[in-house]
Amino acid sequence: MIAAARSTPRTGDVGTRARRELTQVLGQRKLFQRALPGTMHAFIFWGFLVLFPTIVEAMLAIVNPDWTLPFIGDAPWFIFMVEVFATLVAVGVAIAFYIRKVQRPDRFRGSHMAEADKILLTILTIVATLLLWNATQIALGDFAHPNAAPISNALSNLFGTGQPTEALERVFVWAHVLIVLGFLTYLPKSKHLHIITAAPNVFFAKNGPGGHLTPERIDLEGPEEDMRFGVATAKDLSKKQLLDLYSCTECGRCQEVCPAWNTGKPLSPKLLIMNLRDHVAGIDPAAMAAGTIELQPLVPNAVTDEVVWDCVTCGACVQECPVDIEHVDTIVDLRRNLVMAESRFPTEAGTMLRGIEGPSENPWGQPAAARTEWIGDIPVRVLQPGEQAPEYLFWVGCAGAFDDRAKKTTQSVARLLNAAGIEWAVLGSRERCTGDPARRMGHEYLFQGLAEQNVATFAEAGVRKVVATCAHCFNTLANEYPDYGAKLEVVHHTELLTHLLANKRLVTTSGASGTVTYHDACYLGRHNGNFDAPRDVLGATGLNATEMERARERSFCCGAGGARMWMEEGGDARINDTRFAEAAGTGADTLAVACPYCFVMLDDAAKAAGSDMRVADVATLLAESISGPAGT
Amino acid sequence: MGSIWVYAGVTAEGPDPSALELLTKARSIGGDVAAVALGPGATAAADQLGAHGAATVYASDDTVFVDQPGRPAAHTLHALVQQHTPSLILFAGTYDARDVAGRLQAMTGSTLMANATDVLDATHGRTEIFGGTKIVDVELSGPEPRLVLVRPHSFAPEPAGGSSTVVPVVPVVGDGATTATVVERHSEVASGPKLEEASVVIAGGRGLGGPEPFAMLDELAAALGNAAVGASRAAVDAGWVPYSYQIGQTGKTVKPEVYISAGVSGALQHVVGMKGAKRIVAINKDADAPILKIADLGVVGDLFQIVPALTEEVRKRANS
Repeated sequence: MIAAARSTPRTGDVGTRARRELTQVLGQRKLFQRALPGTMHAFIFWGFLVLFPTIVEAMLAIVNPDWTLPFIGDAPWFIFMVEVFATLVAVGVAIAFYIRKVQRPDRFRGSHMAEADKILLTILTIVATLLLWNATQIALGDFAHPNAAPISNALSNLFGTGQPTEALERVFVWAHVLIVLGFLTYLPKSKHLHIITAAPNVFFAKNGPGGHLTPERIDLEGPEEDMRFGVATAKDLSKKQLLDLYSCTECGRCQEVCPAWNTGKPLSPKLLIMNLRDHVAGIDPAAMAAGTIELQPLVPNAVTDEVVWDCVTCGACVQECPVDIEHVDTIVDLRRNLVMAESRFPTEAGTMLRGIEGPSENPWGQPAAARTEWIGDIPVRVLQPGEQAPEYLFWVGCAGAFDDRAKKTTQSVARLLNAAGIEWAVLGSRERCTGDPARRMGHEYLFQGLAEQNVATFAEAGVRKVVATCAHCFNTLANEYPDYGAKLEVVHHTELLTHLLANKRLVTTSGASGTVTYHDACYLGRHNGNFDAPRDVLGATGLNATEMERARERSFCCGAGGARMWMEEGGDARINDTRFAEAAGTGADTLAVACPYCFVMLDDAAKAAGSDMRVADVATLLAESISGPAGT
Repeated sequence: MGSIWVYAGVTAEGPDPSALELLTKARSIGGDVAAVALGPGATAAADQLGAHGAATVYASDDTVFVDQPGRPAAHTLHALVQQHTPSLILFAGTYDARDVAGRLQAMTGSTLMANATDVLDATHGRTEIFGGTKIVDVELSGPEPRLVLVRPHSFAPEPAGGSSTVVPVVPVVGDGATTATVVERHSEVASGPKLEEASVVIAGGRGLGGPEPFAMLDELAAALGNAAVGASRAAVDAGWVPYSYQIGQTGKTVKPEVYISAGVSGALQHVVGMKGAKRIVAINKDADAPILKIADLGVVGDLFQIVPALTEEVRKRANS
């Protein structure tokens, strides 16, 4: 199935991929994001790495009891390691049962619990038979270094030296080998297949920023058979997307952090992967390759439309996944097919798409001429056609130009850039949507057109450096526009402000008072690794910073990503209200944001809650602590 | 070339406007034009169908066509197709016609094109893709008759003044394992005009503070006449009124003669849906509310005093 699937470029930069194998597979890095489950898994995983030679030893011993592996078979240090790691595996299994039976976290909801129990018990019998086999050998005096094997040595007291023990020795070694072999035959049909698939899945994972989506070029003039509109049926899934399905162990870390699932929506990244896997598993690969079966569309046969549209593309699931399953990219691929081939999407998002497509080229359909209305009396250079850009182009973005709240951020940044003496300009009415909302909706064709036009504008104006206040614009310009020929150095305004503060080109004068908590924007933090710059800027304001429980890599989305900003929300609770409640729970009097989407969502939530907690961009808070022209 | 047929929707009130649109188009393509009208009102509709270009109207007034959706119409149409072999059949993109066209396609194995915006000739249709950014012409191949589902309002109906010959049709119900039968009809009685069609729209926002004050807006709407009540997203999200009230980016777009807001701050999300109003009147207690910047008449004050007073004044003037 996988061999016949579509390839995606996933082999470049082997060094990065190899490092990931070391840290993430051998080092269990992502598993240790949770201490107890991470310890549990590492004990079992490392245990089996060490125990692997003993399985071979047991097989040799079946053929001839005197045979063992050269060099290590009778080495005391190896015997001791086997003892230690076999015990750790048993401890790992015990922890696993404690987690599953006592803690019972919600992340297992929907997983195959009984199957997991069977697998864990099998693992336990594998190490138990090993230790008992060693114990019988010790009892019979057939063991090289009994003192190097304290546990087996202690167990050996259970056995005598006679005929029954000799028989038991054979029973344990045969049982050990047969259980291992039986387990191997059971693997391909089980969720435990990850012991084979996880390492390659990690190797072929996406390099670079998580916010980068793989382009799907649509050439209307090209040959029809080259045209692809996302993923409709199983045969459209890429090799990596299929490998993802067979790598899932149903651990549910993704489900536990998913904003949609946590607010009572049908989407769970885990169930998405499981449902796709079960659907694909029901297809005969040979018949699919031969084209003799009619494939059913994945939506709604494997996953419902609602599940596909619930996603905020925040990437929390991908961040958590120990085996690097890329849920978000698969969801976007499903959306691409629904939008471009079927024109099937939540109707209310149509206004946004029409706005971006239309003459005004912004999601709200506001006139392009109004893009400079925020300027007022602030000295701002609007780059005219034919002029060359100064050092920095300030990419205002549609929200920054049209939304009353985001405009305040735009104005603050403009004043700060002026105060720091930066040479900068804006494109004014020549700016158009980056296409991010269209792309996250799956409308790749619309995005592609906007990207090409914006890149042409940059080239014509000789733009080299861009500063953006919108995390979504930033991600698209920095990570996705290079695919369309852009050669830009893109910074988020928080990065530039940190730089200007460090260089003393901006100096805070009046220490602000009060406490602030910072909400990490997904497309700035998790997707692009910028956690510190906004915090550093806040540090300069004099405000006391306090952190929410879910911060940095673990931040919880505001609910606007993935074009959810333009859709109505169902479920038990609203994502923005949920996140705002967490922010308000810190007791801080200000909630700092660094993205206009977060600003609008969380400010709406503050108003709905009747809270007097202030929501403001990091830049506005900085501008207020600088007296003179930068202050507001 | 064989004749061009129009599957004409009819009710006791007369032919659907879509049937007249499609006949006007069929006439312009040329050749013999006929209409197939099935259900009560079919024979009576023949005059109007004829006036719009149908030389022949195959008609049956049998109630089976309304009692069992889809199947009898498809089987009857199929029998007619086998007898008269038309080249092209046009359907309106309505729920009923889509059902019939799909069933007929399964029986004839002919080409079915959906969502057409134009019919160029007997073998070419036109449609839009990528949300209307690209227009594509589609060649219709395969066995006749070719079936085309046309989006409503794609053509303007124009009578040509002809008349038609009515050919009575015997219904063919068809058989199958299952039969869908209409068990109940329910018509929604709308009070007042639709939000998108009202000449006055009164929108309530977060400033109303709860569901009850919407009654105050209803009273004002009743006093004004031809007025409908809507809401901002904040009021809908708070659960005070249903989503159908929502005006804005992710709700309805209204373009009334007069738009009156009460307690709406005027976030961009809302403004997008009402900026096309001819006159904007905004009542808000916060003088900095963005809505006051775009209002033709802004009233800074307590809506709980202003709205009832306004209703009172409207009633007084209506009575005098």
